[in-house]
Amino acid sequence: MASASATPQQQRPIPSFYQRDMRQFALYALVTLFTSMILVAFLTPFAYMFLTSFKTKDQIVDSATGSILPVTNATVTYEGEELPLLIVDMPDGTQQELALLNGRRRDSTFVDPNNLDAEPIEWEGRWRTLKPVTVPEWHPENYAEAWDIANFPRLMFNTVAIAFVGLIGTLISCVMVAYAFARFPIPGKSLIFLVLISTIILPRQVMLVPLFAFFSFIGWTGTWLPLIVPHFFANAYNVFLLRQYFLQLPKDLDEAAMMDGANPVQILLYVIVPQSWPVIISVALFHLVFAWNDYFEPLIYTLGNPNIQPIAVGIQQFNFRYSQQPQLIQATALLGMLVPVILFFLAQRFFMRGVVITGVEK
Amino acid sequence: MRKLSRSVFFIVLLLLSIAPAMAQDTVNLVWYVGLGTGGAPEQREVQEQVVADWNAANPDIQVEIVIVDNAVAVETLATLIATGEAPDIVGPVGNAGSAAFAGNFLDIEPHLETLGYDAYAEFPAEAVDFYRTSEGLIGLPLANFPAFLFYRPGLFDEAGLDYPPSAYGDPYMLEGEEVEWNIDTMSTVAQILTVDENGFDATEDEFDASGIIQWGFVNQWAGAGAMRQNATLHGAGSLIDADGNAQFPDNWRDAFQWFHDAQWSGYFMPNAAQEGSDLLAAGNPFASGNVAMAQSHLWYTCCLEDTEWDAAALPSYNGEITARLHADTFRILNSTENPEAAVEFLTFLVGEASLDLLSVYGGMPARPDDQQAFFDGLDERYTQGVNWDVVRDSLNYPDVPSHEEPLPNNNKANDRLDSFLSLLRSEESVDVQAEIDLLIADLQAIYDE
Amino acid sequence: MQQAIPPPTEGTQRTKTKTKGSNDLIKQQRMWGWFFLSPWIIGFLAFTIVPMIASLVFSFMEFNLARPDEIQWIGLDNYRNLFNDPLFGVSLAVTFRFAIISLPIGMILPIAIAALMNSEYLIGKRFFRTLFYMPYIVPIVSAVYIWQGMLGTETGWLNRVLEWWFGVEGPRWLDSTTWIYPALVIMGLWGIGNAYLITLASMQGVPTQLYEAAKVDGATALRRFYSITLPMISPVVFFNLILSVIGLLRYFEVPFILKSGTGQPGQSTLFYNIHFYKTTFVFLDMGYGSTLAWVLFAITMVLTILLFATARYWVYYASEENVF
Repeated sequence: MASASATPQQQRPIPSFYQRDMRQFALYALVTLFTSMILVAFLTPFAYMFLTSFKTKDQIVDSATGSILPVTNATVTYEGEELPLLIVDMPDGTQQELALLNGRRRDSTFVDPNNLDAEPIEWEGRWRTLKPVTVPEWHPENYAEAWDIANFPRLMFNTVAIAFVGLIGTLISCVMVAYAFARFPIPGKSLIFLVLISTIILPRQVMLVPLFAFFSFIGWTGTWLPLIVPHFFANAYNVFLLRQYFLQLPKDLDEAAMMDGANPVQILLYVIVPQSWPVIISVALFHLVFAWNDYFEPLIYTLGNPNIQPIAVGIQQFNFRYSQQPQLIQATALLGMLVPVILFFLAQRFFMRGVVITGVEK
Repeated sequence: MRKLSRSVFFIVLLLLSIAPAMAQDTVNLVWYVGLGTGGAPEQREVQEQVVADWNAANPDIQVEIVIVDNAVAVETLATLIATGEAPDIVGPVGNAGSAAFAGNFLDIEPHLETLGYDAYAEFPAEAVDFYRTSEGLIGLPLANFPAFLFYRPGLFDEAGLDYPPSAYGDPYMLEGEEVEWNIDTMSTVAQILTVDENGFDATEDEFDASGIIQWGFVNQWAGAGAMRQNATLHGAGSLIDADGNAQFPDNWRDAFQWFHDAQWSGYFMPNAAQEGSDLLAAGNPFASGNVAMAQSHLWYTCCLEDTEWDAAALPSYNGEITARLHADTFRILNSTENPEAAVEFLTFLVGEASLDLLSVYGGMPARPDDQQAFFDGLDERYTQGVNWDVVRDSLNYPDVPSHEEPLPNNNKANDRLDSFLSLLRSEESVDVQAEIDLLIADLQAIYDE
Repeated sequence: MQQAIPPPTEGTQRTKTKTKGSNDLIKQQRMWGWFFLSPWIIGFLAFTIVPMIASLVFSFMEFNLARPDEIQWIGLDNYRNLFNDPLFGVSLAVTFRFAIISLPIGMILPIAIAALMNSEYLIGKRFFRTLFYMPYIVPIVSAVYIWQGMLGTETGWLNRVLEWWFGVEGPRWLDSTTWIYPALVIMGLWGIGNAYLITLASMQGVPTQLYEAAKVDGATALRRFYSITLPMISPVVFFNLILSVIGLLRYFEVPFILKSGTGQPGQSTLFYNIHFYKTTFVFLDMGYGSTLAWVLFAITMVLTILLFATARYWVYYASEENVF
């Protein structure tokens, strides 16, 4: 276990990998292998997405019975026509690669690709049972196509804009509110805090209808405002996370600053915040991923205005239209998840610590 | 209490009156596409070009095009209307798409007069009067889309079968015998054209129904919002009786029994899972090349990229032929702030721009003089030489009453029809007749609401 | 973990500030407190309380945006309509049917994965821990489209594996009114990241002395897990349970994206919130939609209270520092 691990743990003696005890070793192998198998099953869909995104439509259809890799069926040009090349079981028991000239139900006519001038070969049997000859063929241009048609630059810009403006709002408001809960003697504070936490279980449907009616009344539907402005008013998860962290900070520094005549705003900015970067980064990352992945509210508030839609809605609208192009759908799925996943790998410590604090502390 | 409801009413009125801000000197129009055809990638470019041409020629009337996917077009437009962001002009839209918005369309007649536009000089009188409703004249004729039978000659050759009849009334040669081209004949032919991965067809004992790779017949794009399209081969019908109550015609009971059996015991029609699979181009089955026959409309020529197909006659039922008919046009919403400009743009769409648009919409021009040019244009794309005569003849067998007839509480009723259709397409063990009885009861409740 | 942070109590704070000095200072501090709290209070009023009351009012009104001229006060009609609306029952049944399959798996699997991650015999813990969490970060839209392909009847990999390895013809996962539920559960597996991670953290917080004592007493690994680990992590299991139940009552996005909000096949994905969405935003019936929302709110409250009431019988709190 790496020492940089985010979750505090009981130090236990790290068992040596080379223990003489074979039973121990077998246990290591078994558990690790078993976990690896589960992990592979868990992550296989990514491989499906990746491989499918490099295929053509025809290659996907062929993959229903053939290879899962992007391969294409080999053909032979015969008298100006493209003939499919199949692996044919010959009457003498051998296999031969022949081109299908004329397919019928119970017998068919083939030509020999190495000797096109020879007599066509009559063959008894059902040609549909024959395997085709395949060659690998990858189609990275699917990505260029998806990028252009779905207008990814536009979607990315919209998403980043919504995410970052909302981020500023979330940080300012949540830090303020968490600071209030962590440091100030507000009457009925624990009750207020309970109310804050219980908003987590409120179904948002209850608020949705009037909010939608209100936002359309003031002309905000079809703009980013309904997606941004509410973030300037704090939310329970982030306040909880920040408060837990602030409570841990020693009060001595605050008090020293207060003695020096600092007002609470200055204490927040110059004492609390500089000590709290890890948790602030966690909150920021959560918000960015949330904004990137959010689907429902962007859907209803940007309806009918494709120019302002963020990535999740844009991808879904695109896939409505191109539902008959699975390769483009998989390409957009990959493009859409790229940013959050990269962010996650770069900053996984912050993510996982944040999750653990909100979860275990409750 | 009353005060409260009145103030809410007032708020909603205000809400409805909010319109997009607009500049003083130029008029901005929004053209909303998606209720009918027009949403396919192939059609976007032409529509955008038409708008660009108009905008270049009319600096004082600038048009913006919004293209929404057909699957969400009705609800999106409903929301836009309700929130006061309604577009000015919608279409192409047929009866099905416009039924949801009855009462929202502008009577264009007075504005045509102001413009000095004589509709009767442009189109046959009955085509114009088709758009005369209780709201007034709510559209100008644009296009007709008769249904016919698309088929793939190559797959018939492979099976050693004769092609389906090239003219209505012609018989079919099945195993050397001359038979009537009716639904039973077509079903048998479709079974022979249904093939599993070992090359056995659905009439053979060795046939493996779990490994089908080619199907005999499909009702192309007759899913969401189009449940009734799946019934018209068995004749026209209506789901409302003379008193406005829910009913289900007997010939349609036959139709849906046949529809269910075709998928689950005849196997010649793909079920929902099969049609959605990559094998059938994820919902565009005939275009995948793995379906031998498809019933669809002329608009389907919008989106067929290959040339391996031809047109033939639809089969008869009890000696009667029914070829369902779609007729599309553009309409103007009565909430528009610029009716004059919108009508002017409308006349451009059904006039100057119509041939360009119709070539991608696949619509037979309502203006008779344009029809030859239209089919000539199609021949350039489909070089195989399609039998357009049978397409024209299909116009002689329209479904009356139309399968697109509006229902009371139309959107909810259609939603219920969709879930009925989806059930038949997803479940083998469904008692079709019992489900129809359930459907009638639910429809009645929806009509009464 | 719980020991890491000293529990804050009103008492200690108040005494501290009091020793600082005069009432003025306390008053001043309170003012600052309200000031810093104000964003949330304003937001809570504007985006929670007022809309909630408004939607309660709407629920007693005929209020359809598509028929603005018919807006009126109709008392309890919307609530009576619940019994005439066949889809209300259908959508509740769909939601609970799915919950019954999904909830046990959603509860047990995170514990199982966490136990694996916590095993002393696992090499490369950090690698596994990160990768099991990662799918949680994937946008729901991407995840749905990936799984839609994976679960395809003909070309989906799951059915291909079933056919290659077991010779079984796979089901029509996404187009059958029965198989759609297991399919949705499978799609939900990618969402266990949070639950398993906090379970793991809680397992790591179990004092090792307890295990060592049990080992000395000769308890088997299974017995140790059952008698020590499970009770010690029960607060986190309870937390996960609450979140899962709330999540199930809000379940919307996956079936909505997967089936374009149609509720198909048949009416099998007509979850409560899809019915709510259609009523409100497709048929624009804001009045009845608000009624549906309030019924959901009531169900949520009742279930949450029930769960909290049962908690005392099986949730083990090491100390008295109950958070709420």
